[in-house]
Amino acid sequence: MRRALLLQLLAPLALVALAALVGTLVSTSTETYVINALVNVVIVVALYVFIGNSGVLSFGHISFVAVGAWAAGVLSMPVEEKPAIMPHLFGLLGEHTVGNIWSLALAAAVGAAYALVVGLPLMRLSGLGAGIATFGVLEITHNVLRYWEKIGPGLNTFSAVPETTGLLQASLGAALAVIVAFGYRRMRFGRLLSATREDAAAARAVGVSVYRQRLVAFVLSGALAGFAGGLLVHMLPVNTESVYLDLTFLTLAMLVIGGATSLWGAVVGALAVSAVDSFLAEAESGIHLFGRSVDFPAGTRIVVVGALMALVLILRPAGLTGGREFSVPLARPRRLLTKFAR
Amino acid sequence: MTVAVLNIDWQTLADATGLGAIYALMAVGIGLVFGVLRLVNFAYGQLVMAGAYALAFASEHGWSLWVGIPLCFAVVVTLSMLMDRIVFRPLRTQSPAVMLVATFAVAFLLQSIALLWFGPLGKIASSLATLNQPVTVSGVDIRKIAIVAIGLGALCLLALVLLLGRTRVGLHMRAAAMDFRTAELLGVRAGRVIGAAVVISGVLAAIVAVMLTVQNPLVTPDFALRDTILVLAGVVLGGMNRLVPATLGGFAIGFASGLLGGALPTNQSQYLPSFLFAAVILVLLFRPGGLFTREGQQAVERV
Amino acid sequence: MSTPLLAIEGLEVRHGAVTAVHGLSLEVDRGEIVGLIGPNGAGKSSTLHAIMGAVRPAAGDVRVRGESVVGKRPEEVARQGVALVPEGRRIFAELSVEENLKLGLAGRRTRDGADDDFARVYELFPAVRESLRRKAGTLSGGQQQQLAIARALVADPEVLLLDEPSLGLAPRMVDVVFETLVTIRDRGLAVLLVEQRAQRTVALADRSHVLANGQQRLTLGPESADDTAALVSAYMA
Ligand SMILES: Nc1ncnc2c1ncn2[C@@H]1O[C@H](COP(=O)(O)OP(=O)(O)OP(=O)(O)O)[C@@H](O)[C@H]1O
Ligand SMILES: [Mg+2]
Repeated sequence: MRRALLLQLLAPLALVALAALVGTLVSTSTETYVINALVNVVIVVALYVFIGNSGVLSFGHISFVAVGAWAAGVLSMPVEEKPAIMPHLFGLLGEHTVGNIWSLALAAAVGAAYALVVGLPLMRLSGLGAGIATFGVLEITHNVLRYWEKIGPGLNTFSAVPETTGLLQASLGAALAVIVAFGYRRMRFGRLLSATREDAAAARAVGVSVYRQRLVAFVLSGALAGFAGGLLVHMLPVNTESVYLDLTFLTLAMLVIGGATSLWGAVVGALAVSAVDSFLAEAESGIHLFGRSVDFPAGTRIVVVGALMALVLILRPAGLTGGREFSVPLARPRRLLTKFAR
Repeated sequence: MTVAVLNIDWQTLADATGLGAIYALMAVGIGLVFGVLRLVNFAYGQLVMAGAYALAFASEHGWSLWVGIPLCFAVVVTLSMLMDRIVFRPLRTQSPAVMLVATFAVAFLLQSIALLWFGPLGKIASSLATLNQPVTVSGVDIRKIAIVAIGLGALCLLALVLLLGRTRVGLHMRAAAMDFRTAELLGVRAGRVIGAAVVISGVLAAIVAVMLTVQNPLVTPDFALRDTILVLAGVVLGGMNRLVPATLGGFAIGFASGLLGGALPTNQSQYLPSFLFAAVILVLLFRPGGLFTREGQQAVERV
Repeated sequence: MSTPLLAIEGLEVRHGAVTAVHGLSLEVDRGEIVGLIGPNGAGKSSTLHAIMGAVRPAAGDVRVRGESVVGKRPEEVARQGVALVPEGRRIFAELSVEENLKLGLAGRRTRDGADDDFARVYELFPAVRESLRRKAGTLSGGQQQQLAIARALVADPEVLLLDEPSLGLAPRMVDVVFETLVTIRDRGLAVLLVEQRAQRTVALADRSHVLANGQQRLTLGPESADDTAALVSAYMA
C-alpha cells in the first residue's frame, strides 16, 4: 500500500522530470514550448486541487493566475522601466522592486488571498451556479485589470519583466505544485473534500462542513494558480488577454482530457495537450515534417484541442487516465465528470 | 463610477430599446433550450456568428437579400440541430456542469473554425446597410434599424407567446421545461419537444444575426461573443428557469448597456461589466431564482 | 384463455447496484382492479416505471394486449393505452387545470372522441370542471389528486396505473378516490393500484400482491382483508 502511494507521487514527478529532460535536449525555440508546458502543469494541477477534489466547476481560476502575474510583474519590473509601461502606478508599487523568489512567493500569496475573498461567498454555490459565478469572477478580474492602471499596465503588456522562468524554475515549480497537491490530497482536508464529492449529503451527515472543505481547497488552488501566474509573467510578456478566455479554455481542456479526478490525470492532460498544442502552434507558422513542408492556418490549434475535448467528454468523460491515479489496480474507476455536484 | 453625466437623446433611447429587443430574443433562445435541456448554451453566440458569416458570404458574392437571409436561417438552424445531435444529445444524462464545460468547448471550437475558414480580419455583411440611415419620426431623427429591431423583437416575442401559450407543442414545451420526466410519462414526445426548442432557438439566433450585422457589419470570429456573455448575465439576473423573467433580464441588460454605453463617457462606462457581473454573483448568492421571479423558484442549487 | 390486457412476467428492475424488483409476475384484465402493496422501498414505484418504460427492466417481460413493450419509450407505451397517475400527483402547479388536462391528451392514440372523454371526466370529478381556469397549484391536495387521475383518464387508456393515490389525503378524500376507482373499473379499464393502505386495497381489489424488498410475498383476495396476521407476516418477512 505504501509503495502504491509513493508511486502516485513519483509517477507525475517522473513525468515532469521527463519533460524537463526533453527540454534540455531540444533547440532553444522548442525549449520555450517545454517551459510553457511545465507552467501549464502548475495551472492544471491548481485546477485539479479544487475541481478534481471537490467536483465543483470553476471558470474563475485564470483570475488567480492573472492576479499572480500582476503581482509578480508589477513588483519585479525594474524601477526605472516602470514609468514607461505603468505611468499611473500607485506610488508604493512604483518605488519598489523585489527579487525573483520573492516575486513568485508574492504571486502565490496574492492568488491565495484573492481566492479567499472570492471563495468566502462563492463556495456556497455548486453545479451550474458555481460555473456561472466563477465565470463572473473571470469577467470582473479581466475588466478591472484591463482598466485599473494604478495596479498594473492596464492595456499594455508586461514587457521588461526579468525572464527568470527558464527550464529549471519551470520544472521545479511544476514539481512543487505536484508535491503540494499530493500532500493536500493525502491530508485530512483532502480526504474529507473528496468524500463530499462522492456524496455531499452523507459527508454532511457525519459532520463535514462542505463549505469549509471547499474553501480550503479553493484557497490552496488559488495559491498554486497565483504562483503559476508569477512563473508565466517571468516567462513571456503577459497582458490581460493572455490570462483570459483562451487560457481558461485551454487549461480546462487539459484537465478534462487528462482526467479531472486525479493528479496523474492533471499532469498527463497538461503535458499531452501542451505537446499537441505546441506542435500545432509550430505548424501554424510552417514546419518541415518528414521532408515535407506543413503549414496549418492560424486557428488549427484550438480547433484540434476543442475537438479533442468534445470527443473526450462524449466518449470518455473520465478523461484519458480514467480519472485514476497512476497504476492503482484496486482503485474503483471514478467517472468524475459525471460526479460534478449536481 | 463617479457621478455620471447622463446625456440621453431620442436616438440613444431608441438604440437602447432596439438592443434590448435583440438581447431579449437571444435570452429567449438561451432560455428555451435551458428550459427543456437544463443546458446553458455558451455556444449560442457562435450560432449568431455563423449566421453573420452567412450574410457576409452572401453580400460578398453580391447575392440579393432574398438569398442571403434564407441562407443565414438555413446555416444557423442546421448548426443548431447539429450541435444538439452531436454534442448535447450524448451528454444529456450528464450533470449540468459537464454540459456547461461541453458548450464552452463547442463555443471555442466554432470560433476557431471560423478563424480557420475566414481568417481573423473579418468580412463585411453590408446588404442591409441602408437600415442604418435615419428616418424622421415626429421631428426626431432615428435610425431605421432601431425601429426595425424594436418592431421585429416585439413581433417575435408575440409570436412566441402565442406559440407557447396557444399551441399543443407550446404546451408540451412548457410542461417539459417544468418537469421533463412527468411530461414524458404522460406521453409528451421528448424528442419533438427538444427538437422544437432547438429549432426555435436557432431561428431566433438567425434573426439576431441579421439585426446585429446591421449594427456592426464587420463579421469576425468573435462576433456576438460579448453580446452572448452579457445576455447570459441578463438571463441569470432575470431568472434562468422561467422564460418571461429570463427575457426581461435580457432586455434589461441590452437596454441598460445601450443607454449607458451611449450616454456615459468611456472612462466612466469601462467598469460596467464588473458591476454587471458583481450583480450576477449577488443574485446567484441571494436570489438564485432571479430578480424577476417570485421567491421559491430556484434555478440554481446550493450547497 | 384470452390474453390479459397487462401482463408482467419475471420482472426485474435495477437502479445501478440496487435491485428494486426481483421476479415479479402479475396480470390485470379488463374490469379488474389489482392491488400491489408493500412497505416503503418495496419496489412498487419501480414496477410502474418499468411498465411505462421510464426504466428498462433488467429481466422479464411486460406485455400489453399480449405484445411486449420492453424497450419502448414512455411516450410509446402511453400510446399503447397505458396511463400513469404518478406518485405525489406530479401535476404542473403553474399551469392551469385545463392545461394540465390537455397534457393528458398527449398520450392519446387519436383525437377522436376526446370531447366525450372530457365530458366523462368532468362527470366523475365535478370539482375539476369548476376550476378549469385556476392554476393547478392552488387546488387542495384532494383536488390535485383528482386532477391527476382526470389527466390520466383523458388519454383514454385501457390500463390505468396508480401510484399511491391516497398518499397525504384526508380520510374523506381517500373514500372519494377509492369510489372513483370502482367506477373506472366498471367502465372496463384494467386498474393496477399501488398502495400503502394495505387493508383498504385488499378489500377493494380483485386480488392484491404483496411486495417486500422487491420480492413477491403473497397474493390475497378480498376475503382476507380482515386477516391482519397474514398481512403483517408478509410485510415482516
Ligand atoms: N432512481 C433510483 N436510483 C437508485 N435507487 C432507486 C431509484 N429509484 C428507486 N430506487 C431504490 O429502489 C428501491 C425501490 O424503490 P421504489 O421507489 O420502487 O419503492 P416504493 O415501493 O415505491 O416505495 P415508496 O412506498 O416509498 O414509494 C428502493 O431501495 C430505492 O431506494
Ligand atoms: Mg413509490
